[in-house]
Amino acid sequence: MSGTEEGHIISLDRFSIGFQKGKALLDSIRLSVNPGEMVALIGRNGTGKSTLLKSMIGLLTPLGGECLLEGRPFGDYSLPERARRVSFVSSQLTQLPSLTVGELVGLGRMPHTGWMGRLTREDWDQIEQALSEVQMGVFMDRKLDCLSDGERQRAMIARAFAQDTPLMVLDEPTAFLDIPNTYDLIALLSRFRDRGRSIVYSTHDLETAMQCADKMWVIHEGRILEGAPEDLGLSGLFNDLFSSSGIRFDEIAGRFLYSRDRKGSIRLEGDREEALAWTRSSLERLGYGVDQSAPTTIQVESLPGRTQWILQEKGGSREFHNLYSLARFLIQKQ
Amino acid sequence: MRFHSRAVFIIYILGLLLVALFFLDLRLGSISITLGDMWGHLLGRNTLSEQELVILTKFRLPRVATALMAGAALPVCGLQMQTLFRNPLAGPYVLGISSGASFGAALVVLGAGATGIVATWSLAIAAWIGAGTVMLLLLFVSYRIKDVMTILILGIMFASGLAAIISIMQYFSQASALKSFVIWSMGSLGNVTGAQLTIMAWAILPLLLVTLAYSKVLNGLMLGEEYALTMGIRIQRTRLIIFATTSILAGTITAFCGPIGFIGIAVPHMARFLLNRSDHRILLPASMLTGMVVMLFSDIVSRLPGTEHILPINAVTSLIGIPVVIWLVIMNKKAQSL
Repeated sequence: MSGTEEGHIISLDRFSIGFQKGKALLDSIRLSVNPGEMVALIGRNGTGKSTLLKSMIGLLTPLGGECLLEGRPFGDYSLPERARRVSFVSSQLTQLPSLTVGELVGLGRMPHTGWMGRLTREDWDQIEQALSEVQMGVFMDRKLDCLSDGERQRAMIARAFAQDTPLMVLDEPTAFLDIPNTYDLIALLSRFRDRGRSIVYSTHDLETAMQCADKMWVIHEGRILEGAPEDLGLSGLFNDLFSSSGIRFDEIAGRFLYSRDRKGSIRLEGDREEALAWTRSSLERLGYGVDQSAPTTIQVESLPGRTQWILQEKGGSREFHNLYSLARFLIQKQ
Repeated sequence: MRFHSRAVFIIYILGLLLVALFFLDLRLGSISITLGDMWGHLLGRNTLSEQELVILTKFRLPRVATALMAGAALPVCGLQMQTLFRNPLAGPYVLGISSGASFGAALVVLGAGATGIVATWSLAIAAWIGAGTVMLLLLFVSYRIKDVMTILILGIMFASGLAAIISIMQYFSQASALKSFVIWSMGSLGNVTGAQLTIMAWAILPLLLVTLAYSKVLNGLMLGEEYALTMGIRIQRTRLIIFATTSILAGTITAFCGPIGFIGIAVPHMARFLLNRSDHRILLPASMLTGMVVMLFSDIVSRLPGTEHILPINAVTSLIGIPVVIWLVIMNKKAQSL
């Protein structure tokens, strides 16, 4: 980070956030965002993710410290000046007015229009561009209440995009989205990043963040750590992060696994890689480890058009035609 | 935010309707004055008698002007409250403005026992002071309290508290005073004449222009105060201006005409439905226009053409407004999305 201090789009120094003096959620934070960088803010529920984002952009009053926006103290900017530099997408999707998508995105041009809010040709170009960026060009005249959650969230992001700011801050943008929509959204944000905009977003979806963020801010035990996702992974932080819950971080695979109590181990035999992999993950889900020296064996046989599993134990052997019935048997056996 | 042809068409129709109702309202009454005679008089041909002229300029024109001002002002207040509180059932009176005015009126009529012609002025002034006091209190509160929903609840509690005090005053008052107060609370467009009309116009017309100038900001408020702030809107100042304009507009109308129910809540929804738009830069003027049409219509209905009777205007506007609000509640989906 040294030597680039001047170029930060936003930097926090001894920044403290919270709702009550003396009871700071996070104290003396030092963080920064470089131009064209995507930052993922990670933390468990209630650790102060939203509070940090909102304090950073002036929606909440920080308890102390300094926030520099493009090198100048945040408080020195007037509200319209701020609005031309930072745009925001809130975590709440509910209670949107019955605007059309075009009208909503048009609101993003507010900081750039005159007192009557008349949109010029140039503003309309920006609006259309923002909508095509989020692949919603054809939704221009559609009402917001006729959209799916994913589409609505993309429209909200288009509004922020039309605001044309160097920094975009998003609070839990993927909270209501399913997995394909989440990935679409992250891909979308990555494209904005590639255009040279800075993005800060909060999430508790560590896996997606690991794959796309340039930098992570991780809130853990009242402290906040900053670094590339891999730096933080290497430091063993992620295992600590969720240590109290029923998951563990697979350091090699770079993803979280739901950890059950170990029920035992099973030997696995077979020749088709794919069938073996699925069987292994089914066993792991039930709490069985795969150990080639275990007394119980499962033989995975690939027949033309189907697969069958043969469980061999001391008491004899059983045949299963799918993993579900195998799993049912193993559960009942416990 | 383009002005679609549908909106232009609707506004055109509303404009025509307004002109038609304007002349119809002037024409109707115990003495019928024809349009031709009015037109002739305007052209300088003495087609109106002395008596007809007096009726027209001293009674009917002031009443129509009052109806127009109330019709324009109350929906503006309602729309501003609905947008600020993001609540489709908010209206000009949610902040307790009308209760403040009623309290002022109750003090004069029930407390001091003023009745008759003398009372008209003192009543208006007292109602105005009552509404103004509530407004100042609210402005003070809104300066201290950040959450706009808290202010809404305070406003409602305030109104209920004042209503309770008024009912105690009513309980202990003389029959004649009680009657005057009840008549005031039924609303009337016909009591505003001469100097009162001038004062009312001075209080209302400039503020309507202010609210029009704030329509861009109202658009920004639709997404809530957090978004508004990040779009460069000065929330505290905006809130003050919205509260101040709403209080003065609704307070003035209530002071001079008594409470007029449901126009403020229902008309913005009518306009929203007719135009199918939420852009305040067109919705606000359209609400004014719709409100004026509805008020003229209500005034005509209240005077039961062909009979000698006059219904209280508050009852008529309520009967017109209530179905709209019921429809709104039943079409819950629409209501939630304002």
